[in-house]
Amino acid sequence: MSIFADENSSVVVVGGPAGVTAAKRMAEFCHLAGRELYVKAFVFPPDAGKTADLNVGNKIISVPIFKTLKEATDNTDVNTVLVFVAPSRATQAAMDALDNPQIKVISMITEGVPEKDAKLLIKRSKETGKIMNGPSAIGVMSAGKCRIGVVGGEYNNLILSKLYRPGSFGVLTKSGGLSNEIMWIISQFADGITTAIGIGGDAYPCSDFVTYLDMFENDPETKAVVIVGEMGGNLEEDAAEWYAAKKRRIKLIGVIAGFCQEKLPAGMKFGHAGAKEGKHGEGSARGKADALKKAGAIVPETFGGLGPAIKKVYEELKAAGEVEEKPVLTADQLPKLPQKVEHFVEQGEMLVEPLIKSTIADDRGEEPMYGGYPASELIDAGYDIPHVIGLLWTKKLISQKEAEVVRRIIMLSADHGPCVSGAFATIMAACAGIGLSQAVAAGLIMIGPRFGGAVTDAGKYFDHGYKKFNDDIPGFLGWMKKNVGPVPGIGHRVKSVKNPDKRVKSLIAHVKEAGIETPRLDFALRVEEVTTAKKGNLILNVDGCMAAILTDMGFPNASLNGFFILARTIGLIGHWGDQKRNGGRLIRIFNYLVNYAVPGRKKVPPLDK
Amino acid sequence: MAKLLEGPAMALFEKWGVKTPYHIVISDVNQLEDLIEANKWMNDRKMVVKAHEALGGRFKLGLVKIDLDKEGVKKAVREIIGREVQGLVISQAIVAEMISHDEEYYIAVQATREGAEILLAKMGGIEVEANWDKIKRTFVEVGEKPTDEQLIKLAEEAGFEGELAGKVAKFAHSFFECYDNEDGQYIEINPLILNPKNNEITALDAVTNLDGDARFRHPDWNFSFASEFGREYTPAEKKVMEIDSKVKGSVKLIEIPGGTTALLPAGGGASVFYSDAVVNLGGTIANYSEYSGDPPSWAVEALTEEVCSLPGVSNIIVGGAIANFTDVKATFAGIISGFRKAKDEGKLDGVKIWVRRGGPNELAGLAAMRELKDEGFDIEVFDRYTPLTDIVDMALGKQESAQ
Repeated sequence: MSIFADENSSVVVVGGPAGVTAAKRMAEFCHLAGRELYVKAFVFPPDAGKTADLNVGNKIISVPIFKTLKEATDNTDVNTVLVFVAPSRATQAAMDALDNPQIKVISMITEGVPEKDAKLLIKRSKETGKIMNGPSAIGVMSAGKCRIGVVGGEYNNLILSKLYRPGSFGVLTKSGGLSNEIMWIISQFADGITTAIGIGGDAYPCSDFVTYLDMFENDPETKAVVIVGEMGGNLEEDAAEWYAAKKRRIKLIGVIAGFCQEKLPAGMKFGHAGAKEGKHGEGSARGKADALKKAGAIVPETFGGLGPAIKKVYEELKAAGEVEEKPVLTADQLPKLPQKVEHFVEQGEMLVEPLIKSTIADDRGEEPMYGGYPASELIDAGYDIPHVIGLLWTKKLISQKEAEVVRRIIMLSADHGPCVSGAFATIMAACAGIGLSQAVAAGLIMIGPRFGGAVTDAGKYFDHGYKKFNDDIPGFLGWMKKNVGPVPGIGHRVKSVKNPDKRVKSLIAHVKEAGIETPRLDFALRVEEVTTAKKGNLILNVDGCMAAILTDMGFPNASLNGFFILARTIGLIGHWGDQKRNGGRLIRIFNYLVNYAVPGRKKVPPLDK
Repeated sequence: MAKLLEGPAMALFEKWGVKTPYHIVISDVNQLEDLIEANKWMNDRKMVVKAHEALGGRFKLGLVKIDLDKEGVKKAVREIIGREVQGLVISQAIVAEMISHDEEYYIAVQATREGAEILLAKMGGIEVEANWDKIKRTFVEVGEKPTDEQLIKLAEEAGFEGELAGKVAKFAHSFFECYDNEDGQYIEINPLILNPKNNEITALDAVTNLDGDARFRHPDWNFSFASEFGREYTPAEKKVMEIDSKVKGSVKLIEIPGGTTALLPAGGGASVFYSDAVVNLGGTIANYSEYSGDPPSWAVEALTEEVCSLPGVSNIIVGGAIANFTDVKATFAGIISGFRKAKDEGKLDGVKIWVRRGGPNELAGLAAMRELKDEGFDIEVFDRYTPLTDIVDMALGKQESAQ
């Protein structure tokens, strides 16, 4: 058996993400104990109407989230509330639970609840006769039956501490960490626990030791109870009085923290708010230990003496025939906790076919690595954006000379005014109230065979021409005419031999000056000589010029349009912001800009049956 | 429990109609002249000047000066502010009107588990401390208020008569309102007097302890709490408190000068057992510390650095029970970083570290701790199979190390 948290407990968790985490621990316990999930509801107004997913083994159970406790009790059979919200809201949550007729047990983990609130909860819980455990209570563990809260820790500890089946010892502590430790000690020195309760270390815990001792006394399976007390308050003294009042069935073992207080400065604050009172008199560790001893409890001198004391009691109980040896199971004999794929991959026990492959960047460390170089180290060493482009687009750390060319290409192509297709599309989108990323995307969509998208093709054919027709320009032009059509990268709508494109001239001059080897550019210039002889505007345009140079520098053909896309994105973002700032109005073109080459008005015939 | 200095305490009293003498808190001696000019009462009354700090025994330390005129006040304030006492430089003084009176009384409200007790005596000062049994008490249940009849009965039982009993009862009512509305834990006035000048019951000196956890519902609490053990907090303690107020979970530090065993344990409960274990074996602790509630590793790292900086330490106890939800690996990562820094700064020379812990990710956390051995740390690491406080026995040489 166990006390008040058992196979009949049906829990609602009041709280958000932290509450869900606690519920996951409870679901793990269900898996170990072979119980159906007993967390039936959450109360968390921001997520009301949704569900929280909990795993019991590899089964996923969706638990409803309600706005109020009343909704939760109206819709589910919950009888136990776990309060997992901040101190400013915890008291009201617990009050609601005390006032809700369907709720019988409340456990509150919240720390830092004002004492006055705790006292009001004590009063209300007395009036309603309900169990109000907490504040700052780690929860309740009934081995093999029920776990309310995170008490017991992780799955492996549940197994090691034999919490998969009841033992013979009850546990009462103020400290959460120690309740876990005591369960572990009892599993080593005896046969494990029936129920362990952390009541919280506040000055006024809403429940007391005596209430629970009475319950343990009436639980035939509990043969002995371990109390871990500490200085402050008088719950231990009350427990001693209870134990001394009449012959009790259960053995009582007590250990008290706080003897060090006799040697420390007065008024010193310990970890628990409740651990603060008198040095020698009421509330002192010595006073409590003496009271328990006098009442007939077993009180080891130090915490270290607790294990042997428990063992002695256990052996006596066995000798008296009161307890029989209980099975001890190992992890192999118990349900395994399904692990996430990550766990097995980390342990090297599972191979997963990767979904994608990346050869340029790695985000798994402290900072991104570009082609193996930490980003911050590149910055510190003086590298620039063109080097990052080189690393991410060609996997090469390009030279400073090459970086300068890339920098110029991007600067030259960053924008070309509002009238070109890309900018106009972005402006239209901006004026229609479209957001930045979509408006820029609208501009980028325009990049293609007629607008800015000739770089890749130009690079491709200049490379082909250089390799196959280096000394035979007419042969190249003939091959192009037969197989492709006009040479991409050659020709301009407004620029010509007489009105040259300054951007092209300056780029070529720089490349030559820098002494970069440019066989494809040279080839393209020879092509230009021939084509401009035929027609003045068949000049090498900026796309063709960029394409030849970038191909010469080793950028793969497929990446070449990327330079235009990257560069022009700068301009498109600018145009979007420009319209936003100016409050550009919705654009609708005028009728007179449309040639309505439509048929005259016709009579609609009846629908063909 | 959080203690208030007199200045903010008197402000709260006034808020609830509890009369106090004229008073001001001064932190800048240069403002003295202006303040005297602005406060008429400072020009025609006798005054008392006290150091406005959390120091015990101020009278004996010469930090209380009485029966002063305004020149005397100037001299006293200049003497007190800036003085160094017990390693603390006094930064504030409180100047209050000195009220001559014939009789002294005593009143207090003490929180109990069920509500509160109002304590009243028709004697004050040291007389009441010698006659504790003469104090009369009345109980008020939590959520309730004392009735007028109840308070008059209390006043009469304490020996107040007639009109005075009514005045005292009325005062007790305001005093209780202050306690109740301001989340009091223990508030005491000693002495309480009848001011002959205006015939009003007035609080001359007060002990005011409020519930620091209730701060969230008191936006007008613009004061910080004072230390409760008769000395100001040290810079390291203040630093850790500052971190504690910001993080999930908690980190705590109190320095205890002269101790040789430093504590860096986890958990509000286990930490006290570790302290007990050291003291029980005749050792001395250099601090009380604990971290709990899965605090972020940087907070634990900061606490570790402070613990490593304690002087004269020969052992550091990194103890802890089997955690419920505090991640051992993550919190140990903070401790390890703190240790590494301390070692680089030479703070761990001749210091032996003892570790025992369990809980989520215990294997990884303990393994990381063990690796410190290879870095030249003098460290012994134990897992859940070594009982909680055995590392203290080993550290203090009462038990052979198993490793």
